[in-house]
Amino acid sequence: MKYSAIIIAFITLNTFAQTKYLTKTGVVNFEASVPSFEEVKANNKSVTAIINTENGEFASLALIKGFRFKNALMEEHFNENYAESDKYPKAIFKGQINDFTLKKITNKDTSFNIDGNLTFHGKTIEIKANKVSINIKNEILTISGNFLVKASDFDIDIPKIVKSKISENIKVIFNFSMLKK
Amino acid sequence: MRHIIYFFLCFPFIISSQNDLLSEIDTEPTKNKKVIATFKGLKIVNFESTKLVSKQELTFIVSHRFGSLKNGIDTFFGLDEAVTRLNFVYGISDRINIGLSRSSFLKIYELSGKYKLIEQVENGFPFTLVGYNSFLINTALDKKNLPLLEFKHRLGYTAQILISKKINSNLSLEIAPTFFHDNYVLVNNQDNSQFAIGFGGRYKLGKRWSLNTDYGLHLNRANNSPFRNPLSIGIDLETGGHVFQMHFSNSLAMNTNGFLGQGSGDWSNGDIFFGFNLSRRF
Repeated sequence: MKYSAIIIAFITLNTFAQTKYLTKTGVVNFEASVPSFEEVKANNKSVTAIINTENGEFASLALIKGFRFKNALMEEHFNENYAESDKYPKAIFKGQINDFTLKKITNKDTSFNIDGNLTFHGKTIEIKANKVSINIKNEILTISGNFLVKASDFDIDIPKIVKSKISENIKVIFNFSMLKK
Repeated sequence: MRHIIYFFLCFPFIISSQNDLLSEIDTEPTKNKKVIATFKGLKIVNFESTKLVSKQELTFIVSHRFGSLKNGIDTFFGLDEAVTRLNFVYGISDRINIGLSRSSFLKIYELSGKYKLIEQVENGFPFTLVGYNSFLINTALDKKNLPLLEFKHRLGYTAQILISKKINSNLSLEIAPTFFHDNYVLVNNQDNSQFAIGFGGRYKLGKRWSLNTDYGLHLNRANNSPFRNPLSIGIDLETGGHVFQMHFSNSLAMNTNGFLGQGSGDWSNGDIFFGFNLSRRF
């Protein structure tokens, strides 16, 4: 009995030490451009993401000040007046990849659905059954996909004067290449 | 005893089920970030702010100061007359700017350099320090009136340290010790080398507009000088690609030597000037 407990303990130790994949250089882009106006687009290349391959649990964190825009003034406006990054420095996603098992994943993209909550600017919205593609190559587990959100979902008020130049629908594109933790 | 062993052996399991994934990655503190948006315009009103143009960006600033409000409807509150300054500022890097301007006040051409020395950091260095230097050529001086005029008399220089602090997300303050030198001064008793301290601030009234004010305390103005310390109050309005500044000031001149040395208006009798700075980034 004692031995079996020790074995179980070792197994749990082992599996827990090896079932997470992590990146600190994940990429998240978002775009709220309107055709024929200056593009409103930002890119963050230092997003952290983690997945538990035992159960498909997934979490990701982006620092708002890590988003780079085409010009510095736009970036400053975004941080100061839209995202208010002094008050809300992080964007966080917490979710669950449905029917996830490591066995299903090959070196070609396999499609999964993810459910979760996205928190940004102090507001949390639910993201349901969003498609993500997952593959594994050379021990690197890559999760990628995109989704649409609305600025108003996060209480981000776009002033009248620029309303025609910023899209209300914002496309978010993500790509996380994760290594075993 | 056995139970305790079990408990300890299963400890990793217990811990990891309590620890959610997010807490494993949400570990890095968000400190040591540069403070942004201390000022949005390159100027507070008249004084240079600690804001610089970003790398490889060109900003064009048109500034107007209209005539005195004192004359009322006669000059349509000054709108009949205007002093204009056209200023191009280019960012060689995020820390070094050069500027070239022409002001219709005394037909002054100006070459300027602005450079960021230290930036305010959250939970770190408490101030932003920026240096500002300019070199001015007054092309309005006329040999007919001043027969002994030589080219060197047209020249002027400015050296300034701008020290700003963003107190909170709404309030930013600045202090600007200034040295300036004009090779030709209008008042004979006036030292050519002059000292002043500038005080300025920005207070955000809304997300896209703020109240701005600055004041220049001249430290060695000649006793019989008709000129006064410049006080200016205005509003900044941000509209995406540019910042629009509207204000009232008792100085017509927009170059540092001009508004500090030759501010001619007087707030006490309504002899003030309406003006604006409009910037556009390219």
